[in-house]
Amino acid sequence: MRTLVGAAVVWMLALMGGALAQQRPPESVEADASTRQVAITSSFTGTEILVFGTVENSRQPSPEAGTYDVIVVVEGQAAPAVVREKSRVAGIWINTSSMRFDAVPSYYAIASTRPIDEIAGNALLDAKQIGFDHIHMSPSGSETAEGGAVQTYKQALIRLKEGQGVYVKRDFGVTFIGRSLFRATISLPPNVPVGPLTARVFLFKEGRLLGEYESRVGLRREGIERFIHEFALSQPLAYGIVTVLLAAGAGLAAAFAFRKPA
Amino acid sequence: MTLYLPIAEMPVSVILFLALGATVGFLSGLFGVGGGFLLTPLLTFLGIPPGVAVATSTSHVVASSVSGAMTQHRRGNVDIKLALVMLAGGIAGSYIGVAFVKVLTARGLFQLTVSLTYVVFLGAVGTLILVEGINAARRARPGGSASTRKPGQHGWIEGLPFKMRFPRSKLYISVVPPIVIGTFVGFISAIMGIGGGFVMIPAMIYLLRVPTGLVIGTSLFQIVFVSAAATVLHAVENKSVDIVLALILIVGGVLGAQLGTMAGEKIRGEHLRVLLGLLILLVAARMAVGLVVKPSDLFSLASVPGAS
Repeated sequence: MRTLVGAAVVWMLALMGGALAQQRPPESVEADASTRQVAITSSFTGTEILVFGTVENSRQPSPEAGTYDVIVVVEGQAAPAVVREKSRVAGIWINTSSMRFDAVPSYYAIASTRPIDEIAGNALLDAKQIGFDHIHMSPSGSETAEGGAVQTYKQALIRLKEGQGVYVKRDFGVTFIGRSLFRATISLPPNVPVGPLTARVFLFKEGRLLGEYESRVGLRREGIERFIHEFALSQPLAYGIVTVLLAAGAGLAAAFAFRKPA
Repeated sequence: MTLYLPIAEMPVSVILFLALGATVGFLSGLFGVGGGFLLTPLLTFLGIPPGVAVATSTSHVVASSVSGAMTQHRRGNVDIKLALVMLAGGIAGSYIGVAFVKVLTARGLFQLTVSLTYVVFLGAVGTLILVEGINAARRARPGGSASTRKPGQHGWIEGLPFKMRFPRSKLYISVVPPIVIGTFVGFISAIMGIGGGFVMIPAMIYLLRVPTGLVIGTSLFQIVFVSAAATVLHAVENKSVDIVLALILIVGGVLGAQLGTMAGEKIRGEHLRVLLGLLILLVAARMAVGLVVKPSDLFSLASVPGAS
């Protein structure tokens, strides 16, 4: 008898628990980018992509409530990069030392509902590589550099990339436009490195990561731009000869057009 | 109107670069020089990567010297045999130069080398032209022809082996000096993105003693081919020739050059030389400042070739 009552209690508790869970289902995030394919043509002068998404099962009373934090990161392909440092040698400024990083995002744009250090702790940001300072960069294999030097070069790299406009940060770039709907515009500068982009969206609440979503945006040369680039890389000899012939032709044509009347 | 450059991978204002080409073309027509020494630095000042600037400049030299070379050839002012001998050296020299550019770029020393060679060569040549132009202007004797030096003895050059007859120039000299001169000019041409006439012409006059009437034509003739070779080699080895940028510059350049030639006929020769000397020194000085003044950021970022 006693065991039967016990079983009933357990069963009821389980039922209640299930009902509770149904009442407050966990939040998650779904997102996408407005464009799946960005074309670099001869008239390319940069563009913007819109990253938007929604918080599933949002418990946020209003867009301004600030219950959730969202961070949007759009990254280019990782590529090696060399940072060089000048020093004065015999009165002249010369690149004397350098550090090579094997894999550095060629492009990195981050937008968030507020400054990222208010959203989550360093450990979490590090783990997800959210924020310039949390991107994993380590110098190439054999180089044995002390931590301080690595940090100096890493900071220089980030500063230079920001200067080029390919590392972009917008602390209040993500806005909620409904209880669950949010959006962020990410600008791709004219000099954005060509290659596929990854868009990652993170949903936070009180410093905890509730969900993340990832999608891809293609970024490639199109039309004449693509043709010339591929021609130059795949047929460099013919490309060089064509350039020379065009140059010589233009020079001769101008001389012919402007020749003095005999 | 902007256009995205396929190799430099940046959008540029077409008007700005047409104007740049036209200005450089005007000055080169005015002074009768190739103009590469102006174009390469100006391109880098406008943000074109130095490798692309040098390689694209060499194609511009082809355009700006080909019509002059044709004219000289038609007038019979080219010693083809001598030009071919120098060309052999020139192509070898530009090959070495292009390979050198590749190594230097990988080590982060290319920009420095370009600046140093500009300061040294332009400083020296600019000073020479300026001094010579000022002296000529001071003498101001319209009848006085260009200083023809007495044919002196060049013991060591006459003693070299592999002598060859150059009937057009009425020379019987060793092939070693023309090949060495050609190699050297090809080398600096590939590194600096210039034609190299300012080194070639004095060398031909004072070292080889080529008759003055043949110097310009022969040097132009071989510059066309050396620059053409350097352009192709840059395209193959460094993939740094931007055909779109080249075309914009060439269109501006050939038009500007015609206007410059017309303007040049109205200005006295020695005044032109003083102006040219000043212009060359200005470029050298600008390069020197870049070397000596502490850069605003000691760090710089280099892309790794083949990574894109």
